[in-house]
Amino acid sequence: MSYRNRLLMVFGATVLAAVVLVVWGTSALTRRAFAQAERERTDALVEQVRHEFARRGEEVAKRVQGIADADATLRMAVGLAGQAPDYSLYVNEARDIAAARQLDLLEIVAGDGRIISSAHWPARFGYRNPWVTQTAEWEKIPAFLQREELVRGATLALLAVRVVRVGGKNLYIIGGQRLDREFLASLALPAGMRALLYRDVEPGFSLQSLNDASGSLAQGEKLAGLVERVRREGKEQSQTVNWSGDAADAETFYAQPLRGRGQEMLGLLLVGNSQRGVVLLGRRMRWFGAGAGGIGLLLGLALAAWLSSRITRPVEQLAAGARAVAAGDWQARVEADSNDEIGELGRAFNQMTRQLAEHRERLVQSERVAAWRELARRLAHELKNPLFPLQITVENLQRARERAPQQFDEVFRESTATLLAELRNMTAIIGRFSDFAKMPAPHLEAVSVNDLLRDSVRLFEPQFAGAGRPPIRAEFALDTEVGNIPADPVLLRRAFENLVLNTLDAMPEGGTLTVRTRRSGASVHIEFADSGVGLKPEERERLFTPYYTTKEHGTGLGLAIVQSVISDHGGRISVASEAGQGTTFHIELPAVVPAAVTRAGA
Amino acid sequence: MERVAAIVFDRLVRLDENGAPEPELAIAWKHDAGARRWTIRLRPGVEFSDGTPLTAETVASALQFPGLERTVTVSGDGVVIESRKPMPDLLSELASLRHAIFRVLPDGSLIGTGPFRVVLWQPGSRATLAANERDWRGRAFLDGIEIQMGMPLREQRVALELGAADLAEINAGDARRQDQSSGRIWLSAPLELMAIIFAPGRPAAADASLREALARAVDRGSMRAVLLQKQGESAGGLLPQWLSGYAFLLAPADGTRPRKVGAGLPPSLRPVKLVYDEGDALAQAVAERIAVDAREASITVEVSARPSGSADSGSDPGFDARLVRLRIGSTEPRRALSELAAALGLGMPPLPAAPSAEDLYRAERALVESYQVIPLFHLPEIAGLSARVRNWQPTATGEWRLDSLWLAPEKP
Repeated sequence: MSYRNRLLMVFGATVLAAVVLVVWGTSALTRRAFAQAERERTDALVEQVRHEFARRGEEVAKRVQGIADADATLRMAVGLAGQAPDYSLYVNEARDIAAARQLDLLEIVAGDGRIISSAHWPARFGYRNPWVTQTAEWEKIPAFLQREELVRGATLALLAVRVVRVGGKNLYIIGGQRLDREFLASLALPAGMRALLYRDVEPGFSLQSLNDASGSLAQGEKLAGLVERVRREGKEQSQTVNWSGDAADAETFYAQPLRGRGQEMLGLLLVGNSQRGVVLLGRRMRWFGAGAGGIGLLLGLALAAWLSSRITRPVEQLAAGARAVAAGDWQARVEADSNDEIGELGRAFNQMTRQLAEHRERLVQSERVAAWRELARRLAHELKNPLFPLQITVENLQRARERAPQQFDEVFRESTATLLAELRNMTAIIGRFSDFAKMPAPHLEAVSVNDLLRDSVRLFEPQFAGAGRPPIRAEFALDTEVGNIPADPVLLRRAFENLVLNTLDAMPEGGTLTVRTRRSGASVHIEFADSGVGLKPEERERLFTPYYTTKEHGTGLGLAIVQSVISDHGGRISVASEAGQGTTFHIELPAVVPAAVTRAGA
Repeated sequence: MERVAAIVFDRLVRLDENGAPEPELAIAWKHDAGARRWTIRLRPGVEFSDGTPLTAETVASALQFPGLERTVTVSGDGVVIESRKPMPDLLSELASLRHAIFRVLPDGSLIGTGPFRVVLWQPGSRATLAANERDWRGRAFLDGIEIQMGMPLREQRVALELGAADLAEINAGDARRQDQSSGRIWLSAPLELMAIIFAPGRPAAADASLREALARAVDRGSMRAVLLQKQGESAGGLLPQWLSGYAFLLAPADGTRPRKVGAGLPPSLRPVKLVYDEGDALAQAVAERIAVDAREASITVEVSARPSGSADSGSDPGFDARLVRLRIGSTEPRRALSELAAALGLGMPPLPAAPSAEDLYRAERALVESYQVIPLFHLPEIAGLSARVRNWQPTATGEWRLDSLWLAPEKP
């Protein structure tokens, strides 16, 4: 991965993290704020419901007091205060009074607790009210919650009791309003909120006891857990109920116990707060956050791309300059206008390439001088040998002319023969130099590397077992997968023969020549390993230098020719050797035609 | 309807206050030793309201209707009624409105020989009657009668108080109110039985302990004092005291609370569904009070209204018990008891041909102690009268005799 891409990723990740953090933080803070607002809103509603209870209670108490203060009630009390009163005359009174006073429940109870008239359960006359006579000062007691039995079932009611005293006898007026659907419907609630009543405190959840203003509650059993918790712990609890798979349909309920005069739990008031507004707002915020985050991310990435481009451009120029230098362009330079670290690096690069070019120029010049010197030395050495016999022969001819003219013809004949032989020798020497100078381009064809190696080594088998020298054993470890490669068989054979010839010279004491081949991907690897004397480090460094030789009679062109042939085939040659531990030449040739070779061949 | 029929149509005989037959369209009768053949002599000179003479053929035709195992034939100026079975109670039977004498006109309407004739008849709504100028007793004092039917009792009472009506039915619960408001009321002897009858085939009807517990749970005294405003009588038997003479022996033991059997009842018996006729406010109040009393015995009674006049359909009527009001149509105890037992669907215990009061007592006691029926009250018929009504003389069985009634002129 490029530096620019890495830099881009780092910048992008940073921008993304920042955007996500901002969006998450904003969303979390908003949610918390909304939750707090909802809680305060619900608390306000619950408080409103409490006030509503209190207000209704005062209203009920006022109406019941009105009944107690009415003349008709006083007449009834007088009528009932006598001896053996006739209760039957008043059996329908409660019904009519309750209708007039808009009370759901009204009972008129005699001082002994006997029900004289009941509006909500007319047939109950004559039975005794179980609780009203147990308290003396009803005037001081405000309205309270009470569970009242009805013809069918029971109800929760907000009751008030007032007493009419005539002739030392009490007449109790018990009036109230039911806590039912109408009561819930009469509560002024903001949109999205509703109140529910649970009118049963017996163990086990009863769906029929749970009502809202519209009646029974569908899926009301989902509130069973909340009801049970409040009933068990006796204090306010809350729970969020998911009515469907859509979180917007969720509703948070706050349940509080409804208690009677004796603080006994008579039911529960549940205030439901729809989460739709919060959820939809949250969704809108998330969408907005995602949109803003996305836009921020895109802008951040664009900025990161621009910044990374700005930062990496000098680095890329440095890399391009380095590649140019590696490719041989010693004049490659980079822009180094800035005063920062990158500019300093560019200036250092430019200075380095300048110095490298100067050193290379000096090295080339010195190598060129050394090569010319070596060439001169080799030429002098090679030409000195035939020139000396030429000089001796010419001097012998001169002496024979002067001292023995009768033998001159014979001497002349012998001398000219010698001269011609030496001149041919010199011609041969010059020819070898000329051949190296004009090494031909390879003509590629399918060549079996293994066969060519066997043929090349077999050619020297007589020398391996030559008289007067220790034998050399040739071993082959050839990979049959090598197959054919595109090569010039003549040139390649010549290179292989030179390497075999080199091993002959490297093993004067005899030894083993091991030839190996191996296929590796698109390349063929060839090894010539001898067990000879090995090379010194300085010899190994100059091994492929033309005209360099460690032999008395070598031209120093053999391995140079090998390197030239291998290079012309698009391959590489290297040598590994330690003094006294033999030498191994590694050749790597392409198994397919390299483009450079194709062009050279063409 | 019956009240209108009683003043439009005559019967051959009618029963006096003691239940003895007295002549109406028949002036004499006799029967053979086995009471299987009765010879009845008709009143001469009687005409229907359209002037058609009353003939023996008309009478024979009116007395012939399906289901009667007897024959009615013309014999001179009378008719002969014969049967294979003895007919000792034939005269009481002939005194019922079922055996009213009528004539069918070509348009299908019926006319009678009673003191009034029908001028306008709108079923269930109103009727207009006019005095029958050809009444054999002499013309009635009243020229005509306007009758409003289907009017709630409360509205009738209001109409009476406002002077818009001269005669109205009064609920037992309103009798004292009417009395206290200086109105005139008339109470008959207790002529109606209010009772709970269990529906055959229902689980509650088959459980004797439940039936007994419910019978003992009912506090008749409180209901009579409050709901009936002390009118009528608490009933322990089917026949009222004035009719049987032994009803006090069957008086209910009010105040004895039953053991709480409800908790031990099987689920199939809970709740006990008790129905009453829709529109009967008194029955509703009584039924609801019964439910309250039953709670004391841990019996849950579920009260509901049932369309009045609806017949029990199928084997399962959908309720366990029904609150009924049955009119006692005869002043003859044996006949009254038999009719009540038949109306309640109870099998009448066998009685001798001429049962004594003790025989009737035993039979009635057997009926009551089966607890298939729980007698509650014997209710009187109550009528409210305006101040100008004069000579109000209803019969012992509660029939209104409007032929002798007259209205005093209003004071200027």
